Amino acid sequence: MQLRYVFSELGQGLRRNLSMHLAVVLTLFVSLTLVGLGVLFNQQATKAAEHWGSQLQITVFLCRADDGNPACAGEVTDAQRSEIETVVQENPEVADYHFESKEVAFEKVKELLGPERFEGPNPAATAEDLPESMWIELEDPEEYRGITSAVEGLDGVSQVRDMRQVIAPIIGSINMLQWVALGTAGFLVFAALLLVGNTIRLAAFARRKEIGIMRLVGASTLYIALPFLLEALVTALIGVLLAAGALAAFMYFGIEQRGNDQLKFMPWIGMEEYVVALGAVALLGPLLTVIPTLVLTRKYLKV
Amino acid sequence: MIRFDQVTKTYPGHPHAALDQVSVDVEKGEFVFLVGSSGSGKSTFLRLVLREYRPTSGRVYVAGKEINRLASWKVPRLRREIGTVFQDFRLLTNKTVSENVAFALQVIGKSRSDIATLVPETLEMVGLESKGERMPDELSGGEQQRVAIARAFVNRPMILIADEPTGNLDPTTSVGIMKLLDRINRTGTTVIMATHDAGIVDQMRKRVIELEDGRVVRDQVQGVYGIQN
Repeated sequence: MQLRYVFSELGQGLRRNLSMHLAVVLTLFVSLTLVGLGVLFNQQATKAAEHWGSQLQITVFLCRADDGNPACAGEVTDAQRSEIETVVQENPEVADYHFESKEVAFEKVKELLGPERFEGPNPAATAEDLPESMWIELEDPEEYRGITSAVEGLDGVSQVRDMRQVIAPIIGSINMLQWVALGTAGFLVFAALLLVGNTIRLAAFARRKEIGIMRLVGASTLYIALPFLLEALVTALIGVLLAAGALAAFMYFGIEQRGNDQLKFMPWIGMEEYVVALGAVALLGPLLTVIPTLVLTRKYLKV
Repeated sequence: MIRFDQVTKTYPGHPHAALDQVSVDVEKGEFVFLVGSSGSGKSTFLRLVLREYRPTSGRVYVAGKEINRLASWKVPRLRREIGTVFQDFRLLTNKTVSENVAFALQVIGKSRSDIATLVPETLEMVGLESKGERMPDELSGGEQQRVAIARAFVNRPMILIADEPTGNLDPTTSVGIMKLLDRINRTGTTVIMATHDAGIVDQMRKRVIELEDGRVVRDQVQGVYGIQN
């Protein structure tokens, strides 16, 4: 097949309909970026849930001497401690547990916040200020409620903390971001489809004379539709590239610089997840332009 | 070459048939005038040959094939065997004369070397060898129609369909166009021409098929435009 005509038509078509193509490219760019973000958020939520889910532990803080919790009548007694231990031991959901003394807790705090504050004549805190605790590992991380309620009311227990409660709002926010991104993307994808449709309608109208002649002299449908398909692919490609750039910027400025540097308590998505999002975007972009083009060229360019 | 067998064509929403039980046989190499008032079914006849429409009933054969059964992806191949010329020329105004003629070959995938020989040859045949680089709107109506004929004939089709090709031209120019169509006919190409131009029909003395309300009311060898007793 002689493709000279097809390529000259392609260039001409892109120039002739520049404003429409620009509109398509920009809409595609924004909607694909949002789709990509949705995919990234989804993976981030999964990653966070997996991370905390797999090492889920419940921490039971025991009463201190001057505990803020009014249920504590003073420092936990040995009797109370062994009572708590019995309850934990007999619970079938518990895989393992261990006690952490005030001293160990104090060492951990010192390491986390820097030892210099806790040394010298006027330390910020001493081992006495910290509670003794019990760390419980579960058989199934999902089943944390039973053990929590079993331990909560016991004498000598100041507070039960499970990581799931701490991270639930974080995962919730990420999930919400994901749906907001995908939902907005849905509207924009619809707008992009309409724009692509209109662009083809305009292009078919602008070329109606050529198309009429091509049909009469026996050009194949594919040959007539090819400039339209290539235009669709070119606009999709530009849209995908722009979205890839925007997502890369998000990964760098949003994740690398902020998440990884400042919010280290949680594992962050990286290159692998970016490639997945990019794959989704690279697949969706051409589909969004080529499918309406195929449908509409069948309608407008029927032989 | 073209055979209509009891062909009826009714358009959706129109109670009257545009063509009503039409049976016609056109041999290879014939020159046929299709006459009749506006709305008599001439254009429908030509469009059925081009397979722009399918008949409501009956069969249309072109070059031995029953084309109402032709799969739509085979239609382009059929049309490569048919050249078409219109009253309004339908040239591409942003292309030169040569480019207009070459366009018909490019889009069906002819090689560059074929185009390089066929285009000048055909332009010479229609008498426009010196005007290949002109733009269509620099030419007279008659010259533009010659370009359109060159484009229709450049692929050497078996059939040439002309829908009122002299409708926009003065009588002298029309004679030139008719001479050209006659020459093309002499190369063995079957020519079917729909026309209102009585003078031309009378002068040429070719076969005349007259349509009225979608029916063939006259089919006459060496006929004239009006009814002859």
